[in-house]
Amino acid sequence: MSTPAVTIEHVTKRFSGHTAVKDLSFAVPAGGIFGLLGPNGAGKSTTIRMIMDIIEPDEGKISLFGSASSSRDLSERVGFLPEERGLYKKMKVLEHLAFLGEVKGMRRKDAKSKADKWLQRLGLGDWGLKKVEDLSKGMQQKVQFAGALIHDPELVILDEPFSGLDPVNLQVMKDVVVEIARSGRTVLFSTHIMEQAERMCDRIVIIARGEKVVDGTVNEVKAGFGNRNIALTFSSGKEAAERVMADRTLLERVDDYGASAEVSLAAGVVAQQLLAALVNAGVGLSRFEVVEPSLQAIFIAKVGNAGIAPANAAAA
Amino acid sequence: MNKTFAIIRREFISRVRTRTFVITTLLLPFFIVLVTVVPALMMRGGNRTMNIAIVDPTNDGLGASIAAALASETLTQAPDAMKRYSIQHVSAAGRSDAVRDSLVAQTGLDRKNHPETLDGVLVLGDSMLQTGKAEYLGSNTSGFELMVQLEGSLSRVLRQTRLAHSGIDPKILTEALRGADLKTTKVSGGKATGESGAASFMVGYLMAIILYMGVVLYGQQTMMSVIEEKTSRIMEVLASSVRPFQMLLGKVIGVGVTGLLQMAIWGTTVYLVTSQRGHIASLIGVSPDVMQQFPIPTMSASLIAVFLAYFVLGYLLYGALYAAIGSMCNSVQDAQQYVAVLMPILMISFFATLGIFKDPTGGIGVPMSIIPFFSHLAMPVRWSLSEVPPMQLVLSLTLGVLALLGVTWIAARIYRTGILMYGKKPTFGEIFRWLRAK
Repeated sequence: MSTPAVTIEHVTKRFSGHTAVKDLSFAVPAGGIFGLLGPNGAGKSTTIRMIMDIIEPDEGKISLFGSASSSRDLSERVGFLPEERGLYKKMKVLEHLAFLGEVKGMRRKDAKSKADKWLQRLGLGDWGLKKVEDLSKGMQQKVQFAGALIHDPELVILDEPFSGLDPVNLQVMKDVVVEIARSGRTVLFSTHIMEQAERMCDRIVIIARGEKVVDGTVNEVKAGFGNRNIALTFSSGKEAAERVMADRTLLERVDDYGASAEVSLAAGVVAQQLLAALVNAGVGLSRFEVVEPSLQAIFIAKVGNAGIAPANAAAA
Repeated sequence: MNKTFAIIRREFISRVRTRTFVITTLLLPFFIVLVTVVPALMMRGGNRTMNIAIVDPTNDGLGASIAAALASETLTQAPDAMKRYSIQHVSAAGRSDAVRDSLVAQTGLDRKNHPETLDGVLVLGDSMLQTGKAEYLGSNTSGFELMVQLEGSLSRVLRQTRLAHSGIDPKILTEALRGADLKTTKVSGGKATGESGAASFMVGYLMAIILYMGVVLYGQQTMMSVIEEKTSRIMEVLASSVRPFQMLLGKVIGVGVTGLLQMAIWGTTVYLVTSQRGHIASLIGVSPDVMQQFPIPTMSASLIAVFLAYFVLGYLLYGALYAAIGSMCNSVQDAQQYVAVLMPILMISFFATLGIFKDPTGGIGVPMSIIPFFSHLAMPVRWSLSEVPPMQLVLSLTLGVLALLGVTWIAARIYRTGILMYGKKPTFGEIFRWLRAK
């Protein structure tokens, strides 16, 4: 296997009293799309900031491309979209992109022509001479996205790249990300939206409360979780169904959406037992299907009690 | 290095393009032209020959002397200058009131239709030589300057006439009353510089103001620029590509270059206006000597070099500190608390210059011009006033550069941690911890 794009070994970071990242280790292989998943406050952004050498880990080691240099010295090879979006409001769009290219070590002329190409590509060709503040929020986000990619980095790190985008812009950016991965380069992005990760990522790491809970390819993760999930859609007898689903000897976990539900069987229970129980209770079913667990389901199963609730409690 | 340059250029260009920069840069030259040209134009309006009739009831020849004296006065010192007064001398012994009334009737008429109309009637007292009493009736009595001049002329004639009556030659008195005329010239390196002492003082004072204002204004701008970068959250992208030290350097130099450009524009304007005032005067049609009342501040080449060196040194020193303060804060209001630490030092360095004016080589001047944080103001002022031993200049510059290195080191450390801190502002204890951090 080739040298990983990013290697994180036993990294710990504490902020005045609380531990944001705890003994975290994982590797991002070169090429493909890597998802860093986790609930809000799990330590995703802290991890990414440490990878970018914006903050230093208290313990552990991070290396990029197997090199001993800090990521700032390698910044010509790395593109970065931080979670906190920000641009100089008074600058012209094209100049701004050129400046972002320059601080990544590009020559001004190259940076300008590249900036122009990106603006065309993202449908902002007419906006190059406008000031950043004249652009809509979505446009600004695209500009910053282009800024992260302007120097053709071989590793692209995107912190929550798709948050706050409308469906059209989301599609445009998703296509760009997929294209980068297809050209053999590496994309590492963080998100708390599982559907996105499930559709795009080759590999994922899920972290909660600063600790790794899941690591592997999406297929591995799903296989490891077992095909013990059943999707139900109710046509009648919802109250009876709820009584059945409340039985913890039958079901380990229930994700109730009202008219439908995704449930996980308890250990030793087979699908037929659940079907029999529902039929006996007089529940009308329009769908009963054994399904591959969604990343969402895995995420909630793994993180549910370990991550989300305490994180919220800590915030409250 | 290219990255630092990119930051400098970005800072410079985006600053020069702002409306504030354009307005403040143009406003001062405009103001200078205004205070130079407008008064000259105003004075031109008042400068014309006045028609005055003298009602003379005396018979001792005083009236004739006064008429002759007034008639010989000119508007300016130039050889071809216009007469100040056009005098009509009317002898009116015993019928002073009647003559006066008939002349007053010709006073203050519309000048277009009556070119010969009088501006005023000067009625001499019967025994003016003794009492000095005279009366002026005119359309221009509220012209304060005119009245002062008229009174001055009358007094002069009276004095001379009285002296002549007492048998004293007025020339002897003029000779006796001539005061001392002390011309002060600054000596530098055993050579007379040709600068007068008053000019040195003015140059020194101007420099002190410019240095003080420059450091405070541009320092504050550096600080606000850093705060703006923090609040616009551009910081993380920069911090992942550029070293904090490069960011700090780029920012401080970028603002500093903008400041130098602005001052260069101002300096050039002042220089052009003062050196070309003869041309300006003829352009607007006033006699050149009206504008000569404004002194020309001159600076020798060595003074300009010292001034620039210390401006750069002082600005970098305080600019780095201001930038560090900006990095710790999320709003200008937050920053005031820390700026309050800098301001007293700046104020002291400014007020110390007053002591230097009193005695450039005294107990305030010498240490102040050597100790960093004060020397950027004190040394140029001292240089403008007196001779400075080369060793003291070298010592002052060396200490200044050492202080700059130290301050930059501290500022870069605060900056490094500060730029990514959002939320509450740090306590002084926390800042101290940042300094010691690896």
